[in-house]
Amino acid sequence: MSDDVDLGEFVAGFIAESDELIATANAALLDLEAANLAGAPRPRAVRDLFRALHTIKGLAGMIGVEPIVELAHALEGLVRTADRAGSALARDAVDVSLRGVSAIAERVRAVAAQRAVPPVPAELLDAIAVAAGEVGRPAARAPAPGPTAVDAPGWDAGLTPGDRQQLAAGWGAGHRAWRVSFAPSEASAARGITIASVRARLGELGEVIKVLPRATPGQASSVAFDLLVASAAPAEALARAAATTVDQLVELIAPPAPPAPELDASEPAEAAPRDDGGAMLGRALVRVELARLDELQDQLSLLIVSRFRLEREIAALAERAVDVRALREIANLQGRQLRDLRRAILRARMVRVAEVLEPLALLVRSLGRSAQKEVRLVLDARDAELDKAVADRLLPALVHLVRNAVDHAIEPAEERVARGKPRAGTVTVTCADVGGNRLELIVRDDGRGIDRRAIAARSRRAVDADADLLDVLTSPGFSTRDVATRTSGRGLGMDIVRRIATGDLGGELAISTTPGAGTAFTLRVPLTIALVEVFSFVCGRQTFVVPVSSVEEIFELRAGQDVQPPAAAGASSPVRLAERRGQAIPLRSLGCVLALDGGADARKAIVVRRQGAPVGFTVDRMLGRHEVVVRPVDDPLVKLRGIAGSTDLGDGRPTLVLDLGALVAERPV
Amino acid sequence: MTSSLHVTFRVGTAEYAVPAAQVLHLESFETATHVPGAPSYVAGLVQVRGRVVPVVDLRARFGLPRIDHALAHRVVVVQLGTRVAGLLVDSAREVIQLDDASFQDAPELIKQQANGFVTATVTVRDRLFLIVDVPRVIGQEPAS
Repeated sequence: MSDDVDLGEFVAGFIAESDELIATANAALLDLEAANLAGAPRPRAVRDLFRALHTIKGLAGMIGVEPIVELAHALEGLVRTADRAGSALARDAVDVSLRGVSAIAERVRAVAAQRAVPPVPAELLDAIAVAAGEVGRPAARAPAPGPTAVDAPGWDAGLTPGDRQQLAAGWGAGHRAWRVSFAPSEASAARGITIASVRARLGELGEVIKVLPRATPGQASSVAFDLLVASAAPAEALARAAATTVDQLVELIAPPAPPAPELDASEPAEAAPRDDGGAMLGRALVRVELARLDELQDQLSLLIVSRFRLEREIAALAERAVDVRALREIANLQGRQLRDLRRAILRARMVRVAEVLEPLALLVRSLGRSAQKEVRLVLDARDAELDKAVADRLLPALVHLVRNAVDHAIEPAEERVARGKPRAGTVTVTCADVGGNRLELIVRDDGRGIDRRAIAARSRRAVDADADLLDVLTSPGFSTRDVATRTSGRGLGMDIVRRIATGDLGGELAISTTPGAGTAFTLRVPLTIALVEVFSFVCGRQTFVVPVSSVEEIFELRAGQDVQPPAAAGASSPVRLAERRGQAIPLRSLGCVLALDGGADARKAIVVRRQGAPVGFTVDRMLGRHEVVVRPVDDPLVKLRGIAGSTDLGDGRPTLVLDLGALVAERPV
Repeated sequence: MTSSLHVTFRVGTAEYAVPAAQVLHLESFETATHVPGAPSYVAGLVQVRGRVVPVVDLRARFGLPRIDHALAHRVVVVQLGTRVAGLLVDSAREVIQLDDASFQDAPELIKQQANGFVTATVTVRDRLFLIVDVPRVIGQEPAS
């Protein structure tokens, strides 16, 4: 690759794309597992999976991440076999595939973190190879299309219709078919020769149609592999590739059969969808990094600031008795257009909740397995959408709740049966738009419910009220260790859930629980993070912000524009009066009101309205305009009138958000 | 008898201890955002692990002269119920095990003088620790 290719950008694209492909692969694998239970083939899932793996392989190859290429290639082989076997993957094959995909994901993360990408464990590649060998057998339903004359006993039973067709195609192309045996040993592994490498090398010489593991009791290696290879290469080359000798090869001879269509990754998106999974096909999708949308929003902010300037200029013209009606009309139109643009950008940031919740399926599956419980996850997000930034912050909270439900709430199957409940526990995550720009997510389980008495005993306080119970559960470090049996206590991580829901997102968290019947956590979060537009300014050497929406106007106080009306002796914060467009505006020094050092001769006036009347506050200087997340400041020590909250302007320190309107009436401190 | 973990810190010349169960973590201290109108012993707001918490300057709270902030200064982040607040101390180093039995009621004179901020004293190998009444120190009294 030449040096002038921007590899950094390419790698970023690779990571973004891979994440999605990995999600697709996982979803397809879970679908295939469900298909196993239902006994129905899922050709679409097999195809999705194959395409995802194939694309990952291609992308990883382009940036030269060999371990990912190797894994994707091995899994691709497994899936190809599955397709030939009638679009089903046995449970073990799904397991090993999930492990493989997770190993890919781990390596993508390493690329993202610019860490060294770990090599693929030979054990995993072997496991994939073994699964690839076995995958066809349970699913081979259709009878062979015709008589086959494979003259090597033992092969016949293991061959699926797909294998037979492939074999026939090989013969049809003038290739010879061989059975190549490989017995892995420590010595060969030390030289880097594994079933995966043998398979890969044979794959270069021809087509590896099938890998069948064979138990070899009494020998050094307890397992050997028979590879069925169709190849035009000389037998010596095949033997070399398999680290064996020519006399160990067995040729298979049979009459040709009609060739079969190949599974091909370059095939265009289904012309005729083979099942009902075509919902995504009709939608034109573009992947955009969130940072680019942020950039868009920043640009919009600048536009809004320049619009303020435009309005000021128009107002200045009007003061000089210029006819500005046409200008003002345009400015108003532009204002509406900016609002629409802002809405459009916010919409562009919205993602489907159903997609956000997808990783939970995988989580429940693996948690259920390690806890040896039967757990079903039901997701119902309908068409709800939310801001990507909210989604990213929300997911860890949902993961905590689901993890707790599986680990601690759902009882073991025997216990459930004894209680007259269905064997399998159910965790339901529902999501609905509840209006008011809010989304309600409920994580519900049908497990044992929370033992209030145990919690009360441990926390030494009454938890009869749901709010009290939640309070205890979400205290940092609270964990009902004596109740819990597994890795984490029932309450562990609950403080994080609350911090995310109420702190980071400004939402609400509630709990309801019924002994023996289950627990539900309800999160209400804003659809978009409450981004507030603010002006920042300096007063008395301290930076503050004030919401743009509360500001009527900002003007520079010219010399002689303000006068000092009579004031009672000793008033520490006298109110001055400024003339502004024929109106007398009372002015207070914010520095005096807040008892700050300096700020006494401030000449910038921020005008707010208090009960319809304008009041100005003078500050030292304006800094700029920002869109910020406002956090509440509600500790009794600092809950003061005029302080609306706190924000972070990027320096990692709190900056106070002022409510100037509330300071109008406040007596000087 | 039972014993419990305490976090110890220094303010002025004295050593203090608070139950470790009330302490979330220790943070270094650079500066706090001044909150106009808050009680004089409130050093201001700091951002700690994504949350905004008020910091009580224990020197101011204990009636000691202010000193320039030094590197050793720490914020002991405490939690009481749903409230989280920081205590600005001169330095904080140790977590020690204090025997419940070794607690002695603070002398009445001290209790009065210390405004109830000290509830008990503990002596461990010639070192005197004053046990701080955290709820009282971050008291609920309304801002002036």
